Amino acid sequence: MTAIDSDTGPADFGHLVQPHRVNRRIYTDPQIFDLEMTRVFAASWCYVGHESEIPNAGDYRTTTLGLRPVILTRGRDGAVNVLLNRCTHRGTVLAAEASGCAKRFVCPYHGWTFASDGQLVAVPFPADHAVEDRSTLSLGRLATASYRGFVFATLNAEPEPLDCWLGEAREAFDTIVDRHPGGDIAVMGSPHLLEFVGNWKLSWDNAADGLHATFAHESYNTLGEMGDTKTVLARDPGSTPMVSKAMRNGHMVVDQRPGIPQGPWATMRRVPFREPLETALVDAGDEGLLDLATGSMINLSLFPNLLFVGNQLLVIEPVAVDRTRLQLWLTSAPGAPPEIDLLRLRVDEDFVNFGTPDDLDMFERVQRGLSIPEMEWIDMSRGLPDSDAADGTIYGPITSEAPQRRYLAHYAEMMTTPAKTRAL
Amino acid sequence: MTVAAARPPHGAGAEMWAAQASVLARYDELAALLAGMDDRPKADPGLSAEAAPLLLHEARLLDAGRFEDWLEGWTSDAVLWLPLSVRAHPGTDQSLLLDDHRRLAERVDWRREPSAWGQHPPSRTTRVVGSVEAWPVPDGLVTRSTLLIDEHRHGRHQALAGYQIHELVGHDLHRRTKILVVPALGTGVRNPSFLL
Repeated sequence: MTAIDSDTGPADFGHLVQPHRVNRRIYTDPQIFDLEMTRVFAASWCYVGHESEIPNAGDYRTTTLGLRPVILTRGRDGAVNVLLNRCTHRGTVLAAEASGCAKRFVCPYHGWTFASDGQLVAVPFPADHAVEDRSTLSLGRLATASYRGFVFATLNAEPEPLDCWLGEAREAFDTIVDRHPGGDIAVMGSPHLLEFVGNWKLSWDNAADGLHATFAHESYNTLGEMGDTKTVLARDPGSTPMVSKAMRNGHMVVDQRPGIPQGPWATMRRVPFREPLETALVDAGDEGLLDLATGSMINLSLFPNLLFVGNQLLVIEPVAVDRTRLQLWLTSAPGAPPEIDLLRLRVDEDFVNFGTPDDLDMFERVQRGLSIPEMEWIDMSRGLPDSDAADGTIYGPITSEAPQRRYLAHYAEMMTTPAKTRAL
Repeated sequence: MTVAAARPPHGAGAEMWAAQASVLARYDELAALLAGMDDRPKADPGLSAEAAPLLLHEARLLDAGRFEDWLEGWTSDAVLWLPLSVRAHPGTDQSLLLDDHRRLAERVDWRREPSAWGQHPPSRTTRVVGSVEAWPVPDGLVTRSTLLIDEHRHGRHQALAGYQIHELVGHDLHRRTKILVVPALGTGVRNPSFLL
């Protein structure tokens, strides 16, 4: 226990994030949260959406990037653009819908009109509005790059190339995409949107946490046993050959495949309408494809906002220091028989209903516990000392807290580096 | 809207094809029931008055946590569906949940599991059912009613509004279909595991 004066002094991240423990302030201090929205979310590459969501020119979808409203849209030339959703006149948010198709974005306030690449193409009553150089009034644009159809964007003025930023995480990324026939993966519309009263990093701490499955998800595993199914989470975390990896830039992998020699489908519970669809596949000689109906069994986390879990993309959207929205998008396999996606829909709902509520409850309990100023520290020491591999990747059993240590070290580095951010 | 039919099995008999088609048929039926609700004519006043106590009884069972008794009121081919939008189709869009009878029973088991932290301690709910409308169908009736659910848990509360569609069939008017539409699911709610 510690005597402390206040929560609000200057943040010394060397003190707040130590190898074996982290300070509660990084979860509770609104000033630190404000700084994160620029030094982490604006300065890093962040996932914005998937190209399959905007197949045609003019298609768009809105989201946020570090609280900033942004538009993901496809231009007339087919290029994918990520624009700041803010009229350059008075600042009005232009696109109010979650998604849609618009040849142009017309501001509802004074009629300024922008093309889908952000260029100002018209102002009303131009006779009395001499705009010398319209290009200075284009919408703010973000640097944008895609990997395997996944669109990332950043406001960093000098971003590392996306491939380099992904680094060793590309191996798991490729494995997840390539299991789909033809490497063809798409993202369905209408995400689950779940909020919790807690800091966004709580979901990050959870993403590669192999130990919590035994405790927090006990009820999911019990439900599995009732149906004679040993779920992927019902493994002894102390003896399973599953592997954790902590990589450069805070990316993390939990590879569960070594722990499930029978393959992913064997871990799946009795989801609704499973049998007719499963039988149809088996009968057509496509039994081997059933594994596609459930996840790759690789949990890949790309810091700071994208987790691959099962067949879902879990996008972490910070709302406030103690409020987070999770977007859960379901991926589909357009090159597979239709039964696969029909099964995926029900498989996806299984954990959302019987697993996710337990995680949400833990996040809210932790946030509440962290409100106690006299108890400053969170222990992150399990599995120390970390081995230093030549490529900087740390491997460990899934009970190790190496992934949490590694991403938090990267986080601390970002938080101590003044960010050069700008809109293009 | 219908889902593109799954391909016929290569070397299989018509029986398997029928089983697979039955899934799609049920999904199409659910989507049509939801999509067609706003276009229905004025409800039958007598039938609406008759239906109201059934809906109020269900709400009372759920608020009282009498989930086993609630489970008894479903047919064996039951579906409980919570779509994420009013234009959703169970075969093409994620849902919060789409339960068959087996999963409904598991859900009741889950609610009783002491380690189901998402509902332990449990939510305390108060449902207000209103605007009950009912129409006759060959084996029973279809109802639409508005629903306000106030949820209290961990010292916080949230109030969600929406509407529910029931298909009640047979001599006992058991629930064959229930669709619960909660628009707030489209913008983000806290731990929705209390929603039934």
